[in-house]
Amino acid sequence: MAQDEKLSIENNPRWALAVDLDRCTGCQACVVACHAENNVPVAGERQAAYGRWMHWIIIQRYWEGEYPNVKARFMPVMCQQCSEAPCEPVCPVFATYHNPEGLNAQIYNRCIGTRFCGTACPYKVRTFNWFRPEFPEPLAEQFNPDVTVRSRGVIEKCTFCIQRIRRVEIEARAQGRSPQDGEIQPACVQTCPPGALVFGDLNDPNSQVSQMARSHRAFRLLDELGTDPGVIYLKGGETNV
Amino acid sequence: MTKKLSRRDFFKITAGAAATTGLKAAIGRNILEPFVRAPENELPGQATWYASTCRQCPAGCGIIVRVINGRAKKIEGNPLHPLNRGKLCARGQAGLQELYNPDRLRNAVRQSGGRGSRQFEPLYWPEGIDLLAEKINSLSSPDRLAFLGGLIPDHLYHLTARLLEALGAPPPVIFDLHSALEGRNTAVKLSQTFFGEAELPVYDLAHASVILSFGANFLETWMSPVAQSRAYGLMRQGPFGGRGLLVHFEPRLSGTAASADEWIPVRPGTEGYVALGIGRLIVEERLGHVGSHRDNALLYQNVDVREMAAASEIPVEMLRRLAIAFADADRAVAVPGGYLAGQRNGLASMMAVQALNMLVAQIGRVGGVFLSDPGPTASLRMRSQVDTFDRMLDLIERMQAGKVDLLLVNGANPIFELPAAAGFTEAIQRVPFVVSFNPFVDETSVWSDLILPDHSYLEASGYQVPMPGSDRPVVSSQQPVVRPLYDTRSTADVLLELAARLGGLAAESLPWQDDVSFLQETATELHGSSLSAYDSETRAGFWALWRQYGGWWSEKEIRREPDMIGFVPQPLRVLEPEFEGDPQDYPYYLYIYPSITLSDGRGANLPWLQETADPMTTARWGTWVELNPEVARSLGVGDNDVVRVVSPYGELEASAVIYPGIRPDVVAIPVGQGHGDYGRFAERRGSNPLALVAPVTDPESGALAWGATRVRIEPTGKKQELARLESLDGAGRETLD
Repeated sequence: MAQDEKLSIENNPRWALAVDLDRCTGCQACVVACHAENNVPVAGERQAAYGRWMHWIIIQRYWEGEYPNVKARFMPVMCQQCSEAPCEPVCPVFATYHNPEGLNAQIYNRCIGTRFCGTACPYKVRTFNWFRPEFPEPLAEQFNPDVTVRSRGVIEKCTFCIQRIRRVEIEARAQGRSPQDGEIQPACVQTCPPGALVFGDLNDPNSQVSQMARSHRAFRLLDELGTDPGVIYLKGGETNV
Repeated sequence: MTKKLSRRDFFKITAGAAATTGLKAAIGRNILEPFVRAPENELPGQATWYASTCRQCPAGCGIIVRVINGRAKKIEGNPLHPLNRGKLCARGQAGLQELYNPDRLRNAVRQSGGRGSRQFEPLYWPEGIDLLAEKINSLSSPDRLAFLGGLIPDHLYHLTARLLEALGAPPPVIFDLHSALEGRNTAVKLSQTFFGEAELPVYDLAHASVILSFGANFLETWMSPVAQSRAYGLMRQGPFGGRGLLVHFEPRLSGTAASADEWIPVRPGTEGYVALGIGRLIVEERLGHVGSHRDNALLYQNVDVREMAAASEIPVEMLRRLAIAFADADRAVAVPGGYLAGQRNGLASMMAVQALNMLVAQIGRVGGVFLSDPGPTASLRMRSQVDTFDRMLDLIERMQAGKVDLLLVNGANPIFELPAAAGFTEAIQRVPFVVSFNPFVDETSVWSDLILPDHSYLEASGYQVPMPGSDRPVVSSQQPVVRPLYDTRSTADVLLELAARLGGLAAESLPWQDDVSFLQETATELHGSSLSAYDSETRAGFWALWRQYGGWWSEKEIRREPDMIGFVPQPLRVLEPEFEGDPQDYPYYLYIYPSITLSDGRGANLPWLQETADPMTTARWGTWVELNPEVARSLGVGDNDVVRVVSPYGELEASAVIYPGIRPDVVAIPVGQGHGDYGRFAERRGSNPLALVAPVTDPESGALAWGATRVRIEPTGKKQELARLESLDGAGRETLD
């Protein structure tokens, strides 16, 4: 643990993501950006129909009401990076562990594919590689060299783009400073056209994400489970005529 | 020759190396660089970012591409670009898969087994260009040459138009389904009517407090979706105060309608009536704060509010409520969208909507309607205007009549994109020689003799003047971010070489050696502009910065107020929408809509986009038919039951999706699937709803009236599971409660 603390730049950042549902339009830009950044495989029609999709972030859509007074609401759901993560204690091989910056990390080469973590996760954001992922040549040229390509039989999930966090941290350390608020942007945050996603350090009271977490609109997903997620949702509103 | 390296020299060298790689020399950190230099100044493990322009839709957003060891790894929005400010949509993100697509053509080919045989043999490039030159030289008359373009960048349009003019051939015909579905051509006509010029306006959504959107899917595919989504975010929770009101009129609950505060399912084709009713109420009841409406009374002299309300099935009270909200707002804007243009009264409806902006004096005001300022970019503005469907039908007629001997196709796929009933497939077979420049073997390339594949946009140079533009003059530049993967050639280069071979006037009017020298000459005309966001002393320096920034734009915001001097107020017309198909036999209106991921079908060969769920139905990899729950019940159809959709022009089968957000008299089908060719990810998947669409136009604008067809639904008794993200365990819908 002592060594881990030395590796991290800040003493104790708690990385968090705020999702402003009032801005989210369900456009799916984050989904494709995540595929590109994290070498997420494409399951294909057949497996997708079986529910074996591999996205690290999905846009859930909920219907409310009946025609003509029907509403659809969007909710981007990715790994909630819980402080009290149900996925962590169930892993028999410690492939799922809690890193010092508050992330639920997944060590692929420890994973033996019990899928206990996926079962324990109340948000259903862990996906399993049922088959060897296929990337017909030359699609493999697009692989991000900063991210492992997972093999068959392991669980994978959103990492808050840990490689992008590290890139900024290392650069900041080289310049003798700490990362600035907003400097770290996971791929989904970077691309989000309406600016619904904001990333930052929850332990810094002045960061934008901390301010959003204090909003009267803020809530956490399945808060009653006591998982203490690192993803903060801000509920949408309605303007009436 | 051994020289001892002192410690001081060593640090000097390493600091210099750090500077050349673009890294700031960091305190306490040095980079050791190997002596052997990789090509293109690549450092192993170091990413280089190149700025360029996205070509997935006509918007022209700026992108930056992360390149490591000569391979493109990630596309992101260009943070400096005034249009998209670092943001990018799903299609833009997926551009890498176009570059690294396994089904790209790797060299020029000739179809050896005859057209349509799909048997290709490689062709030596000089031979291909010779063959093309020979075909042009042997034309009995230059007007027997036709050029059909789709989404082509401005520089290529410029060169093509010049070449055709020099040859005495008719100008290029530009048509693509994406532009037809967003009503681009009719929107240009609307601008000409109101503002006297062919420039698409920018609707200032970010600052608006009330937005009435008439079938404008501005958060999905319409016009410049990334810039508009960004503006939407600011309208909702931005620094401008308040939380705007968005009311959306459309027969189906689209993604944009889902983000609206109020969705009003108006009867198809009567969106203009709603605008007329609201306008009449504002004038008649002197609503709002503009003062006298006497000048505008003339516009609404033919409008009866009760009639409008009855025809559009929206009560007068609701119209009045919306009229009051619109007129009382500080910053209100009405947006005429693509669905309006797809009706047979398209232009009239869009005029009714634009008139609302005039009524509340929001033309040229914050939160209203602007035109983008061209600044010094005028010389780059010789660009493609999308043609009407009428012009396309003319071309088809000429082809049918045997008046076209040589057809050149670039960036267009009319066999997939036109209504099947328009007869392009038959017409192309009557053209003796067809050359395609498409980088994939799509449905149209299958009917060509030669395919001279263009580079992907990440391998080529170019520029694009975004339209609609931004809050300032802007040009997006495109540059190669990687070396071409295969033996493909930029079509601009092919045309220049062709012109040189043809000699005469063609060679004179296209004197450039290659596309880069043409671009250099054109782009550096902007050098020295006082508006520029960057400055350089020399033209060569400007050319470097032009590529480094990914274009040219003004440093300061310059908005232009549209000039209404030429606008002569006339009574707005009340035009009845007309539909193909007898209501008795065909009881439902057909609504085809562009998929947010596959667009008009050009994204169907990218696996990321196929795998990404449609936001509303969460379905992917297929085609579906959206039915109102009541209708489905009356037909005895449930989710995943295959239904047959029949129009007077064709039929298709697809799985049903019970969709709570659609009028009972409307059936919606997404466009994008149903490719016969176009690579392994696209082929033999779903159905193309263009097979159903009547090839009719709005007589005033000449645009394809793609929303003017009626259909009937027949259950087939078959079942076909759709690959949905959503589980159907909760009786077909997941709800919050």
